[in-house]
Amino acid sequence: MKYNLELIKNKRKIIGFSTVLILLSLLGILYSTFNTSFKKPINLGMDFVGGNELRIERVCEAECSDFTPDSVLEKLREISKNKNVLNNIKLQFQNNSKLISIRTPYLSIEESNNLINNLDSIIGPLNYDSKDSRLIGPKLGKRLLTNCVTSLLVSLFAISLYITIRFDKKYALFALLALFHDLVIVFGIFSWLGIILSVEVNSLFAVSLLTIAGYSVNDTVVIFDRIRENLKSKKAGYNETIQLSVNESFRRTTFTSITTLFPLLSIILFGSYSLFWFSLSLSLGIIVGSYSSILLAPSLLLKD
Amino acid sequence: MKRRQGWLFFIIFLLTLSVYLLINYPLQLGLDLQGGSQLTLQIIKEEGKVTRDELEAVNSVIDKRVNNLGVSESNLQTLGGDQLILELPGEQNPLVASRVLGKTALLEFRTQKEGTSTDLKTLQLQRLSIKELIERYSFSEKNQNDNNFLKVIQDDLKVIEQELNYSSTSNDLYGKLIEIKKYVNKEITNLFIKTDLSGKDLINAGRRQEQTNSNWEVLLTFSNLGGEKFAEITKSIAGTNQLLAIILDGESISEASVGNQFAITGITGGSATISGNFSAANARELEVQLKGGSLPLPIEIVETNTVGALLGSKNILKSLYAAISGLIFVGIFMIFNYRILGFVSVLSLVLYGFFNLALYSLIPVTLTLPGISGLILSIGMAVDANILIFERIREELYDGNTLTRSIDSGFQRANSSIVDGHITTLLSCFVLFLLGTNFVKGFAATLGIGVLISLFTSLNCSKTILRFFTTYQSLRQKNLYLPKNNFSN
Repeated sequence: MKYNLELIKNKRKIIGFSTVLILLSLLGILYSTFNTSFKKPINLGMDFVGGNELRIERVCEAECSDFTPDSVLEKLREISKNKNVLNNIKLQFQNNSKLISIRTPYLSIEESNNLINNLDSIIGPLNYDSKDSRLIGPKLGKRLLTNCVTSLLVSLFAISLYITIRFDKKYALFALLALFHDLVIVFGIFSWLGIILSVEVNSLFAVSLLTIAGYSVNDTVVIFDRIRENLKSKKAGYNETIQLSVNESFRRTTFTSITTLFPLLSIILFGSYSLFWFSLSLSLGIIVGSYSSILLAPSLLLKD
Repeated sequence: MKRRQGWLFFIIFLLTLSVYLLINYPLQLGLDLQGGSQLTLQIIKEEGKVTRDELEAVNSVIDKRVNNLGVSESNLQTLGGDQLILELPGEQNPLVASRVLGKTALLEFRTQKEGTSTDLKTLQLQRLSIKELIERYSFSEKNQNDNNFLKVIQDDLKVIEQELNYSSTSNDLYGKLIEIKKYVNKEITNLFIKTDLSGKDLINAGRRQEQTNSNWEVLLTFSNLGGEKFAEITKSIAGTNQLLAIILDGESISEASVGNQFAITGITGGSATISGNFSAANARELEVQLKGGSLPLPIEIVETNTVGALLGSKNILKSLYAAISGLIFVGIFMIFNYRILGFVSVLSLVLYGFFNLALYSLIPVTLTLPGISGLILSIGMAVDANILIFERIREELYDGNTLTRSIDSGFQRANSSIVDGHITTLLSCFVLFLLGTNFVKGFAATLGIGVLISLFTSLNCSKTILRFFTTYQSLRQKNLYLPKNNFSN
């Protein structure tokens, strides 16, 4: 079965489409920086700003009695010794009121323990075996953020270096352009998710960006290799050879992306909730990455 | 032919070895999978970097304290030059550990400055009234009293604050009470002069219940030199109106007079007791802290993660479902598209899984949730190489080559681009492993190991299996290697 992607005809459309995506992403990043409560290019989660996150299940006979978050908060205010703890608290019920999840600014272990005890007296008994609690100090958060940004920069530098050594200038430039295109779009999508759904990013998001970088370049390398190989044999004109090469490696690139997406889909469907957004950003990165490897990067190589 | 058989036996041997390893050396599970708590302790140093010696010293003090706490199977390790990570598996509340570990526990003995008796008496009285206010406050908490009761406490506190000429900065009443109590204790400390006796002169600490009431006291045993110092100090103030204060982290916890009968020799015997109205729990905390010695630099607990055991086992189950369903999805896709070749890749994937897990138990790699996601993700990437090879084989077959030749050149020609393609992923993993946090390292390790093993399984193992298959005549028909609809064109 032969594929026939009309790359030469659609060059403008492809580049236009990518430009629109990038502009939309930049818009999200700018909007997020200037027009939101968090004033950051992306909604930084607890890992980076510090805080306390608690999830715990209630022990219920059959169905869990209903509470509204507001009524619980009110009672908490009544009985809490340290009212400070209750500033900026976010409280949510999930799973038919069985699971309660709470976010607050950073608390000491002692304060968090008191909070749990107070909760127990209001909506208890609680199942401590199901507890999932994270406390991150603001200092550590800052450190994690610097750490993640450094990792990202170092690894982008390493990848760029590798590509420049391996290809000649033009190929390297376009492969890197495609890579940054992928990263900016995934980042932009999460900026928008932060603005609209207040989705937060944590250190796993940074990890996903790094993995996307490694993976997306990989695909572009394979296609560029094919192009170089075919150009040497000079079967057809320059533009036609590029189009032919893309069509030849189309199956291979989509298939490898599909087989990588399957496990990610399994994590999204069946895995632990803490891996949900991580798998989602990886999936998005792989989809955008395949698009840019198959369509965008080779289109950039085409001559007018 | 002999060499090919050799590979087959080698692979079977590796598989047996892996199964043996996995049975005898079970995988180490991280706290997010088995339940437990993890505390990150940050060493605080105002100027300059924490030196290796300082890190070691802090590490050893913390280690002693953890051991004295009687926490089972705890694990303490250093991280990045100025952090320590303490893992407490199982259902152990991190609260107790945090109380004991967080304090510097610098113990000092000081003698009273002359002419400060009236000041001290005032402060001691104020301390008493604050203690009483705190008791009244706790009482009102328990009995849900009306606001009037709290109002009275607030007014009383204001009077004390005015006397002290100090206003508290905490936002809530309880915080204010604690803050003022600390302030008074520090003010008391200021009325005393340092001596050369400190926590360093202790060789042991213990605790016991006081005979007269339910309070606890902490027993101190001095070293020989410490005992001499203690005798010297007590001798110098015996019979005077100067008191001896025991100070912990800058706060005076107990002031006592030394009787006239010690004027000649001082208090000898090399031991002392601190009776500062301790509860059983407080006495135990102090005992553990004193036994471990004081921290050379203060520390702060900057991160605490707690995962319940039930949640941990749920996480294992969920990850297992995700891994298996991922494998099934990929398997169906491969068999549908590549038929026998697809089946071969599924077999090498299973091998891949076993080799990976065996290596985790060998190195050992502690499995965490991000680690498992790295493993699951690498399943997809492991198939990448197979797809590259199979595409080449198909091309060769379409060109009319024989099966054996197609297979051979398929593997040969895809080799370089496979190795090449994985380099960037390995680069990312390497950087993540070097710079990442503990949490991230797990992902980088499993993904990196996965990519490396996949090179072996998808190149060597699938080749060997495929060659083994093609020794059977019935498995050598070309149409078993190409999808039917595609074969016709």
